[in-house]
Amino acid sequence: MKHTVLALCSALALMTPTLGAAKDRYVHANNSAYDTLDPHTVRDVARVASRLNFYDGLYRWVDNPPQLIPWLATEHSVSEDGLTWTFTLRDDVTFHDGTKMTAEDVVYSFERMLELKRGAGSLFLPMIDPGQTVAVDDTTVAFTLKEPSAIFAALVPDILVVNSTLVKENEVDGDMGQAYMIDHVAGSGSYMLQRYDPARGFIGERFADHFAGWGEKYFDEIEFRTVLETNTRIQGLMRGDYQGLDGYLAPDQVERLRADEDVQIIEEESMRVFHIAMHNGRAPLDDKNFRMAMVHAFDYDGYINEIMQGTVARNPTIMPGNLWGAPDVPGYDYDLAKAKEYLDAYKAEHGDEVRTIKIGTLAGFSETEQAAALMQNGLSQLGITVEIESSPWPVISSAMQNPDTMPDMVPYWKSTYYVDPNNWVGELYASRYAPTRNVSSYHNDAVDEKLEKALVITDQDARAELYSDATTQIYEDAAGIWIYNTKWFGPYASSVKNVRFCPVGNGQDMRWAYLEE
Amino acid sequence: MTALKRLLADRAASIGAALILGLILVAIFAPVLAPYPGDVTAFHLTERLQPPSADHLFGTDRMGSDVFSRILFGARITITIAVIAVGVSVGIGVPIGLIAGYYGGFPGGFLMRTSDIFLAVPQIVLAIAIAQTLGPSVENVILALSLTYWPFWARLVYAETRSLKAQTFVEAALALGASDLRVMVLHILPNTASAIIVRTSIGMGATILTAAALGFLGLGAPPPTPEWGRTISEAREFLPEAWWYAAAPGLAIFLVVMGFNLLGDGLRDILDPKLRKGSR
Amino acid sequence: MRRLEIILSRLVWFIPTLFGLVFVVFFISNVIPTDPARIIAGENATEAQVQALRAEMGLDQPLYVQFGRYVADLATGDLGKSLYTQRAISEDLLHRLPATLELTMAAMVVAIGLGVPLGVISAVKRNSMIDQTLRVLSVSGLAVASFWLAMELQMYFSTKLGWTPLNGRIAGWGPEEITGFYLLDSLLTGDWASFWDTLHHMLLPAITLALPAAATLVRFTRAGVLEVINSNFVLYERAMGFPTTLITWKYVLRNALISTVTQIGLIFGSLFAGAVVVEAVFDWPGLGTYAVQSILQSDTKAILGFSIIVGVVFIGVNLLVDIIHTFIDPRTLK
Repeated sequence: MKHTVLALCSALALMTPTLGAAKDRYVHANNSAYDTLDPHTVRDVARVASRLNFYDGLYRWVDNPPQLIPWLATEHSVSEDGLTWTFTLRDDVTFHDGTKMTAEDVVYSFERMLELKRGAGSLFLPMIDPGQTVAVDDTTVAFTLKEPSAIFAALVPDILVVNSTLVKENEVDGDMGQAYMIDHVAGSGSYMLQRYDPARGFIGERFADHFAGWGEKYFDEIEFRTVLETNTRIQGLMRGDYQGLDGYLAPDQVERLRADEDVQIIEEESMRVFHIAMHNGRAPLDDKNFRMAMVHAFDYDGYINEIMQGTVARNPTIMPGNLWGAPDVPGYDYDLAKAKEYLDAYKAEHGDEVRTIKIGTLAGFSETEQAAALMQNGLSQLGITVEIESSPWPVISSAMQNPDTMPDMVPYWKSTYYVDPNNWVGELYASRYAPTRNVSSYHNDAVDEKLEKALVITDQDARAELYSDATTQIYEDAAGIWIYNTKWFGPYASSVKNVRFCPVGNGQDMRWAYLEE
Repeated sequence: MTALKRLLADRAASIGAALILGLILVAIFAPVLAPYPGDVTAFHLTERLQPPSADHLFGTDRMGSDVFSRILFGARITITIAVIAVGVSVGIGVPIGLIAGYYGGFPGGFLMRTSDIFLAVPQIVLAIAIAQTLGPSVENVILALSLTYWPFWARLVYAETRSLKAQTFVEAALALGASDLRVMVLHILPNTASAIIVRTSIGMGATILTAAALGFLGLGAPPPTPEWGRTISEAREFLPEAWWYAAAPGLAIFLVVMGFNLLGDGLRDILDPKLRKGSR
Repeated sequence: MRRLEIILSRLVWFIPTLFGLVFVVFFISNVIPTDPARIIAGENATEAQVQALRAEMGLDQPLYVQFGRYVADLATGDLGKSLYTQRAISEDLLHRLPATLELTMAAMVVAIGLGVPLGVISAVKRNSMIDQTLRVLSVSGLAVASFWLAMELQMYFSTKLGWTPLNGRIAGWGPEEITGFYLLDSLLTGDWASFWDTLHHMLLPAITLALPAAATLVRFTRAGVLEVINSNFVLYERAMGFPTTLITWKYVLRNALISTVTQIGLIFGSLFAGAVVVEAVFDWPGLGTYAVQSILQSDTKAILGFSIIVGVVFIGVNLLVDIIHTFIDPRTLK
């Protein structure tokens, strides 16, 4: 029996590689499902691969630290009043079906995003109304904003252009091609859709006529496959079933992979801040002394050195330490004696009773569970009881967006959606984003004034100073518990070369990578 | 007493009874028996994922806590879930089955059709739907299991009641002027008791497995609760290196469910002579 | 005609049971108000955008109106759209159903192939060492948590020994799709590589899933065979000098099979339910994995659709078993 099984296995092992021997293939195991290919309805890191490889934006984020490079558009200018943004498009871009891209495609794509209101569309809606985008000529497109914006440029890469002729042909009852775009690609990106199965993933075939051309070496075919179980992804990479995985791995996993010589770990600074959001609007957390007690009750070193095994760097504020505008302040330390002092000060004012603190965690994300457990551990030594409630991300994220249902504390990450301080300090602590993104109910007029001003002026040095000042103020108010800035550990087969990592796309932009034995 | 004697004479059943007794004792005396009773909530981050040793019988987990101690405390959760969920199911299912079987007709038919709806889907599927909506917690697991498990008892008692009602002793009692309630509670219910007891023992085992599966899927108690199913799913990231982390709770579930199944089999042999003849 | 009557009476109950199921699951899934509109709108949406979306989705209507709409849609086979992808849930489920059915059937074959012969042996050699061992094994088989067994088997056979694939249904993209059942499709197209690869992938999940069912079958077959062995006609034939083996296989097995078929409906149900967790461990792209994903995303409508389709399959199989039963066991017609 044993021999038959072995014989069967080796026979199968011999058979598999012959399928794709002639082509260089890259197989990526992803931690969540590619359940839609529509580039305009989702905007999450988990499903970024289909957007990056099938579609092109006006500009593109590359490298680390992230740089904005011209892509479908070659340049832009902004009108005197800061409202009208005019982009010059390349004239040599063709979609996968050979149709030439024009400014009309950009207008259609942008209006489609605003109309669908999901994905990146909801980000643009507050800035620009539908109908304010015009094709000046075939290669010029102009956007007219409602008010000047310093972050519009950072969002331009999110304007992914679809083949409007193709999409319009496939519209059903004015759905802007939604039903069609779920499982079809109408783009100009580096790869063309070859196969797609929402239960499995997708295969892309290299688009040889891509306007940006190709290097000497490249992958002929890329496959992104859904493998939900972390352990299976890791084992699969070690067995050679996959050539790459998503890069935010727990340190224990990184250690295991490092031990394998067929696997390389590409280590990069990233911008993904892990913090515990606190409800500043609800007693007792509305009191600064109480919050000061909280920020001193978390075992930062234990978390970073033991649980994360030193793979991440302490980040003292909400701003990633490696981004411009981050202030230079020392992080709060784990000091229960100090915490006790602040707690006593709080009690002197408000009485000895302290109610149970509720921490919400993200089900399935063990780092948030471990952070909550550590917080619980610290607070129990101060005599404060903690209740932990674990819910799936969608549930907790909708609870967080309402001050009545927001738990007292929620540990989670703030990832890079666009590289601008507003992505972190602005969205999380400015009043204009309450309650949907400023979930902490933090309101401070002085801070608001700085953050608002930074949104409309364009001088980067002045903006950096405003963000630095605002962040320092928020830090002094102990508005949250800021823990670390993630490093990215990209696990790839040793034969994969030239992975060009960028925090925005998580290294899944495959057009530059290639295979070399 | 004879039933107990016969139970003890059956080797399988007495092993089962011993396992369950063990579970109960462990649950009650967990704080005394556990080498590190504080480890349900306390962490020793420098001692993460240590293999089994004299200090840590089943090794340590991702927070450096003693797996053995946590398993012992987990017994409390397991037994609480099983006892309450099965208790509530019996409490709902038995009266419904009794009433439906006794009165028959439209109300009886209606009640049984209602239970058929619940039986139309595997229990775990409905339990998943309920637990998912209510959010992960021990209480909600119990609620989900109770809401989906009662029809099994209703069906069982219904069938028994139907056949008992036709028997002469019931007719005699009615002829003597006994009220419906009296007949149901004093004459019919005791005669269905053995079937209920057997079903309950096996049902406890099944409930523990379902509860563990819910925990595994992340629908059970939140961390750092030492629930067994949850511990197994936590351990998964650390396989195959930290094999002890998943092995220990898996074996604990196995032993306890085995205990209830063996006891159930033994009880069936003793209490239900009909089946006994067939299976021996 | 009695047969037709039985079949009709079962069919008549199909619709009300299904309606009841939809009713129960629908209201259960609306006990806690998560806000699907907010989830779809994304965290960048303003309150006004969410309100508009809510109205568009009919979520501002009272629950009974929403229920009415849901049932009306259901009647046309429409289970609504997934919160996440806006993909039709019925399509998603139908797409994944063959994977689950194929696994369930494979497990069924394994369960019957193991359970029935072992049950017969156990009965024929009752109280021997073999019988005792089999009894212990069958009790154990019912006591193991399947997700745990799945993990342990995967860890040993796939990770440590590398004998079986880690996960999934097939290494590549599968044979040309005709029915969605890979084994069948690969046979139809003569694609032997896919056929063997599918079997290879199926090995561990099917065995894991089959074990508790096999244990149940051992017990039932044993009891059924014993009953037959002790019955008068077997005693008579034995007295007439027929060889024991012949009697065992000819009479005993046929009678035992009848009781096994009765069990198949139940066993199918337990396998189908077990598939939810076993699929999750092996990343089997079927209904179970879909359900688990929907749980993680709190995609209530998808879970609702999943419960309904499982209910339909489950009720359907039981109906089928009842019908088959009227053919192989004429006693039911009396």
